[in-house]
Amino acid sequence: MAKPARVKRPQLSLVAFAAPAIAVYGAFFVFPTLRTLWYGFMNWQGPSTQPAWVGLENYKSLIDDSVFRNSVSVSLKFMTVVVLAQVAISLFYSVKLVKNTKTTVFLRALYFFPTILASTSVAFIWAFVYDPASGLVRSVLDLIGLKSYSPSMLGSTHTALYFLVIVQIWFHIGQMILVFVAGLQQIPGELLEAASIDGATRLQVFWKITWPLLAPATAIVVAYTTFQTFRSFELVYNLTEGGPADATRVLSFHIYRQAFEAGEYGLAASQSVVFMVIVLAVTFLQRRALRLVRSDARVFAP
Amino acid sequence: MQRRSLAALAALVTIGSSSLFIPSANAQAAKAGGKCAKKQVNKTIGTLICKKEGKALVWREVAVVASTAAPVVATPAGQDDFKGTEISFVHWRAEDKAVFDKLIDAFTAKTGIKVKTNIYPSNDYQSNALNLIKDGDLGDVFTAFRGAQFFNMAKAGLYTDLSNQSFVKNYVPNLIEPGSFDGKQLGLPYQLVFNMPIYNVDLLKSLNLTLPANVNDLPRFCKAVKDKGITPIAWPGGETANAGQLSMNGFMMNNFPTDDTFTKVDTGAAKVTDFWFTRSLQQFKETADDCFQDNPLGTNTNGAIALFAQEKALMLATGTFHMGSALALNPKLNMQLYVPLTTKPGDAAKYEGIYNSAFILGVNAKSKKQGAALKFVEFLSDPVNAEIYANGTSQHSTIEGVKYTKKELQDTAIWAKKKTLLAPRFQFLNLDVRNAVEKSFIDVVGGKSPQAAAAEAQSTIDGKLGVK
Repeated sequence: MAKPARVKRPQLSLVAFAAPAIAVYGAFFVFPTLRTLWYGFMNWQGPSTQPAWVGLENYKSLIDDSVFRNSVSVSLKFMTVVVLAQVAISLFYSVKLVKNTKTTVFLRALYFFPTILASTSVAFIWAFVYDPASGLVRSVLDLIGLKSYSPSMLGSTHTALYFLVIVQIWFHIGQMILVFVAGLQQIPGELLEAASIDGATRLQVFWKITWPLLAPATAIVVAYTTFQTFRSFELVYNLTEGGPADATRVLSFHIYRQAFEAGEYGLAASQSVVFMVIVLAVTFLQRRALRLVRSDARVFAP
Repeated sequence: MQRRSLAALAALVTIGSSSLFIPSANAQAAKAGGKCAKKQVNKTIGTLICKKEGKALVWREVAVVASTAAPVVATPAGQDDFKGTEISFVHWRAEDKAVFDKLIDAFTAKTGIKVKTNIYPSNDYQSNALNLIKDGDLGDVFTAFRGAQFFNMAKAGLYTDLSNQSFVKNYVPNLIEPGSFDGKQLGLPYQLVFNMPIYNVDLLKSLNLTLPANVNDLPRFCKAVKDKGITPIAWPGGETANAGQLSMNGFMMNNFPTDDTFTKVDTGAAKVTDFWFTRSLQQFKETADDCFQDNPLGTNTNGAIALFAQEKALMLATGTFHMGSALALNPKLNMQLYVPLTTKPGDAAKYEGIYNSAFILGVNAKSKKQGAALKFVEFLSDPVNAEIYANGTSQHSTIEGVKYTKKELQDTAIWAKKKTLLAPRFQFLNLDVRNAVEKSFIDVVGGKSPQAAAAEAQSTIDGKLGVK
């Protein structure tokens, strides 16, 4: 007769090992998050004043707040364009740079270089590139006699967000290329070889084998890019200040202004909570979408 | 002991020239540095006042200013003078650092008080400075912008009342009104600025053109300037604050139904969909279309200053606070101020220009070194030192009798005697409302019709004010 399995009790010493991490997580994530939730129900004008309970008033006011609604829309648009463009471009480059030769290693390092810069430095570099009077774009167009075709870039409500997208992609694409290259190098060579022998075209090999097997890498790239775009405060702050006419006023920048410029800390807290919900919802939808791609991958996985 | 008392007496007397020190009358019941009770906070016994310092409640010596004045916390108990005391001076004007350093050196040599300067960029000033100042550890002396920022800081109780300090008399009374709150002089605006376009006198002369008095004649003038390869007006549309200097001040001064119209917009008592505002938007749009540089909404302040300093633009649409920066790039510039009148041709204009009292100096109510802080403000308020500051930074002064030695200051000082309106852009206390109004000017430059821009701004304002 077999002995009954012993029920293991968690050992106190093991919990103690995790305690520092739990403490740090609690102090720097759980506590501030709960405080933000709490302040979202307050009319609070700043650190020198006493918060007053207003219930759901801050949340109700967001419905009528056209600037807030615009910021949500700008953030989602910015995120969508950056995610799609960054995934496509970084995937293209990673396919070209997947082999480990001296040239590809050098090029990967070159593309990675902007990632190590401070975001403020990146903003200053691009402020110089986009400067309408003496910037790089304007100077080059002047040089080749196309001055009259100089685009408005950050000066137009129609184009400013897209020129910001270019900066965001330039800043982070090197990192995404590395993730995709690592993912591509994980795909067994014999699988691709077998498909070729079976007569699959290069495009078929990519869509039916490479892309589904890249799903884990794609999930990382999409998630990382999404968070980067939602957090892209410094570029907006230093390049456009949310303008022109709020065309680049992303939610993180709007919340900053609401709290630290207008002094509406309670309202800004409620907006932060809505922001968190949006990020969670977007992340959930992305994970669902990528799970579908992964289920395709299982068909081909060895 | 006697020497110590005399030193304390001397230190307190020097806080203000009319300050009197009254020796402690009830030292048995309470003594300087000793603990006091919660119910005694802000109450006085003789020359002592019960102050809350952090969590502690402590009796402190006070200097009584004249015979009826409110008490002001002076030197910490037991301290003979301020020698060796280090105070913190918080402000945003990095461009003035060299001049302030020179003044601080002179102040330290004279009083033995050291001053550590903490500079925060103007964009972040509200967020950084307010948080630091409120605890009293930094910003024994601090500055604020006029309007919402000063109002919020005053409301938060960050200021020591300066009403009875003798050095307040050094200032031109009407120029320091923006530093008053609830009938008390809490802050002292240190700069007098003119928020009007600056123009290049020599360039205008070389173009052989005359500035039009009225905005209606501006398009023709701008076309003539453009024909000669020069941008008529460099406008930093990429930076909201400086973009608003022309639109929210000069274009408003004669279009306002009353001088406090933005105060009314701020509370919902006036609408920006009314004719006075849509007319202003229309005039501004026409000016922008004909006179501004290419891609004005993509131009930041430094870019606009560079265009002006390089003599590629005739005017810089910000104000006198950028004369110093322009001169740093081109010392040969010869400048004067101009603002087109928005009145109907032939109608008399109520105002000729705009001024603002800025850089409001204050002494931190939570400071533990208020005596030394007051001495520093007193030092800066001395006309001799204000003169060093004004000429060193190319800023006009709010202090009586300051003599300008810089040509650009001498040339533009004439505006102090003209009919000017205190910059209405700073009438807003709700910055969300101000942003909505400011955005409507950006919208019309971007191509929106004045009516649509005004309607959108009013809708945003209504949303912010909870108007259904």
